[in-house]
Amino acid sequence: MKKHRDSAACGVTADPLMTELLILHTGEILVHNLTPAMAAILSELNPEDGAIQPRAGVKWLKQNNSLSSNHELPN
Amino acid sequence: MICVEPAAKCRKVLGRPAMAHERARIARAMLADCRFCAHDCGVNRLAGESGLCHAGAEARFFSAQTEVSDELELIPTFAMTLSGCDLRCDFCITGASSWNPRAGASFDAQTMAARAKTALQDGARTIMVLGGEPTIHLPAALEFVSLLPETAKLVWKTNAHGSAQARELLDGMFDVWLADYKFGNDTCARRLAKVPDYVRVVQENLRWAADHSELIVRHLLMPGHVECCWKPVAEWLAANLPGVKVNLRSGFWPASHAARHIELQQTVSADESRHAFRFAQDLGLNLIP
Repeated sequence: MKKHRDSAACGVTADPLMTELLILHTGEILVHNLTPAMAAILSELNPEDGAIQPRAGVKWLKQNNSLSSNHELPN
Repeated sequence: MICVEPAAKCRKVLGRPAMAHERARIARAMLADCRFCAHDCGVNRLAGESGLCHAGAEARFFSAQTEVSDELELIPTFAMTLSGCDLRCDFCITGASSWNPRAGASFDAQTMAARAKTALQDGARTIMVLGGEPTIHLPAALEFVSLLPETAKLVWKTNAHGSAQARELLDGMFDVWLADYKFGNDTCARRLAKVPDYVRVVQENLRWAADHSELIVRHLLMPGHVECCWKPVAEWLAANLPGVKVNLRSGFWPASHAARHIELQQTVSADESRHAFRFAQDLGLNLIP
């Protein structure tokens, strides 16, 4: 579980933002409630991952960083 | 009961905010005999009674943030998550909060609408109302809608277990229905989510949603449930809602009470995932990322 308190990255609220991650032994990362900031971080971790790039690259005014790895998005 | 004209015509005349405001008032009165979901409890939530969802009259929320994990055509979305749900899916990732209508903070429509508008200004493409299950909090959801710009693209993320009454109140309120079709048969639905008559209810909701709004159907692949759940879902969608957008998700993880079921104590294997996607492609489903 990852908590992120940078409200500037969200631009919406000072509440803690939350993305849940599950890292598998294969290196695959499952993600739930992915925020733009966490997408940026994951993308930087693995720029080769095609699954995260479209999500890290969405237009978001307050986004100043982002992310991926080999990951899938659950429900 | 709500409007003598079709919802689309009413919306053109009155505008969505005004319609939503009126419907929120009606929905609140209907809490006295709550039948918003297919459980059809008929309890008086205004008097402190609660049905299977355990929700009272006032809504709470446990998350409100901009997210990018939903369908690409919807993101970034400002996702507002109401507490409480009418289903009890053992694998629910947010089960602790989703099932507890007292989780999170008190919902104030004015405050939340202001946050949503800020998100829109910052680049959010859509506003998504979800849960838990938002259907059990229709008064709050509709009040929220009444405070949002007419032009905002609104997404109703639902388990598709709502009643005809709920659908009538929701008609014309949301641009997109993002609806789950979780189980391909009633046996799995009863065993994993403790819900009876699941398939009939969900199919009724999906048909209605396809007729009344844009519809995206989600199915979360579950380990060991490709044959019994995904394949019947895929076949029904191909036969009954051809061309409907389908998001097949393979990121299941064994959350919450999934460990109660031996087949759910793992993630979906690469082989299962490949097989499921190939089956969808063979049926010609309109898969979207």
